[in-house]
Amino acid sequence: MKKKKNILSVLSPYAYITPISLILLTFVAGSLIIAVCFSFTKYNIITPAKFNGLFNYQKLLRDDKLKLCILNTVKITVMAVPLQMIASTVLAALIASRKDTFLGKFTKAALFIPVLSSSAVVGTVWKAILNGGHPAVSFLFGIFGIDPTMLLGSSTTAIITLSMIIVWKNMGYYMIITLSSLMSIPDNYYEAARSDGANSWDIFFRITLPLLKPTLILNTFLAIISSMQVFDIVYTMTGGGPSMSTTTMVMYAYQLTFKGGKAGYAMTVSNVLMLMVLVVVLFQQRFMRREASEI
Amino acid sequence: MKKLSHIFGNVVLLFTALLCILPFVYMILMSLKSTLNAYDFSFSLSNVTFTHYQNIFSDGTIGRYFLNSVIVAFAGVALTLFTSCTAGFAFAKLKFKGNNKIFLLLILTMLVPSEVILVPLYIVVRGMGWVNTFKALILPLPTAFGVFIMRQAILGIPDELLESARIDGASNRRILWSVILPLVKSAMLTLSIFTFIGAWNNFTWPLIITTNDTMRTLPLALTTMKAQYDVDVGLSMACAVITFLPPFLFYLLLQSKFEAGVALNGLKG
Repeated sequence: MKKKKNILSVLSPYAYITPISLILLTFVAGSLIIAVCFSFTKYNIITPAKFNGLFNYQKLLRDDKLKLCILNTVKITVMAVPLQMIASTVLAALIASRKDTFLGKFTKAALFIPVLSSSAVVGTVWKAILNGGHPAVSFLFGIFGIDPTMLLGSSTTAIITLSMIIVWKNMGYYMIITLSSLMSIPDNYYEAARSDGANSWDIFFRITLPLLKPTLILNTFLAIISSMQVFDIVYTMTGGGPSMSTTTMVMYAYQLTFKGGKAGYAMTVSNVLMLMVLVVVLFQQRFMRREASEI
Repeated sequence: MKKLSHIFGNVVLLFTALLCILPFVYMILMSLKSTLNAYDFSFSLSNVTFTHYQNIFSDGTIGRYFLNSVIVAFAGVALTLFTSCTAGFAFAKLKFKGNNKIFLLLILTMLVPSEVILVPLYIVVRGMGWVNTFKALILPLPTAFGVFIMRQAILGIPDELLESARIDGASNRRILWSVILPLVKSAMLTLSIFTFIGAWNNFTWPLIITTNDTMRTLPLALTTMKAQYDVDVGLSMACAVITFLPPFLFYLLLQSKFEAGVALNGLKG
């Protein structure tokens, strides 16, 4: 009887971690295994998969559509990430210096509304705004010499518009992370600088920014990883068009699976994206570690 | 000079706040206009109509989408809380072989980008025969991040508290339920909010794993409706409003929890 109780008390901790382990094992590890296995097959979801060796991987090299999708994904990343970082840092600094004013609190709250809305809502609403022909909207865009109804229809402007909307949706998120790290900088740093006669530009560039560096690096990597996976905003706003100019890699894998009947090849494409993300993550780890060792 | 830059900063903030809010104002105003005068942009209170909302809730399909969203979001929160609290407790306070190693393995799954594994995840879930089921919509929701949050919170509870409960003869289950959980309510609330919003707003996974109206969730209505009533901006905006409101209301009530949760994400690195 006593021995039985012992076994139970040894096993009981494992019972606590079983539910989450099972879920992650099935859905995350399971997906990874499936992705690797099926990338060597010809598979259209309906009929059983057929092994076709390295065919899919050879196909990657001569797939011009894939090149286009990689280019589109890179374009979004290059346009959205720097803007997100600049906007979120500047806004966090402005809000931090007005943290007890109504304007500061109001802007902080307002910036978070796009963050907590579904991408499907954001996509649908912005599409309605741009294409709706409302005189006020036409007027506002007209100031910059832009016709809003043309933005999503042309292959040069559609991807720029999407990137800007991604910035609009996410900048509040990075702003909050930056703001919370700004608030943790002790006040006496600023007081000391001010008593040495530093102006607010000096303070921002010589004290705030260096102390924020780890947070900014983290934000940059979070933003890169999320721009590489853009899907729902594209799906709801352009569906990947016009003429594939906004088809991202995730979108391409989706289309291959559900519109093209090429699930095997779709998984090969997913694996390429996975590798790209992993490379970014490795860079992130190295950067963060170097930052940590400098401090 | 100093004053000037302060004013300039205020203008930037005000401009940003308007830029963030106005699209949602547009959404709400358009949802209150009847389709007939969709291109008459003068807005007067006498023209306000709730027909779109009445249509949505009298049309069984979107009502069903709404109900599904509610079920998925609440079940997702319950499942996430359950799996994260039990595992977080075990990793923080119980001694067992491989504790740290298993925890690290679970945390590694956070590196797997969620959108990238959508197609293989679809194959996995389809293989189980779960297409168009609540199981498929709910079971993949919990993440290792929840375990991470709960473990961090529970680590902060002093061991003495657990020891004294153990001396009183309390089992692990009882300790978790009546000693630990009451002390980590705040972390549980943060985790619940994030899970709720994530599940409620989730678009891609329901899009892939559901094919019929009885299982679809609300964000999908925005795109499926387009096919049905392509020109009806008012109806689609009303649908957007209904999808938008629950997270927004939660935010109004619990703003500080949201910010705490996002800042927590900063710890992930």
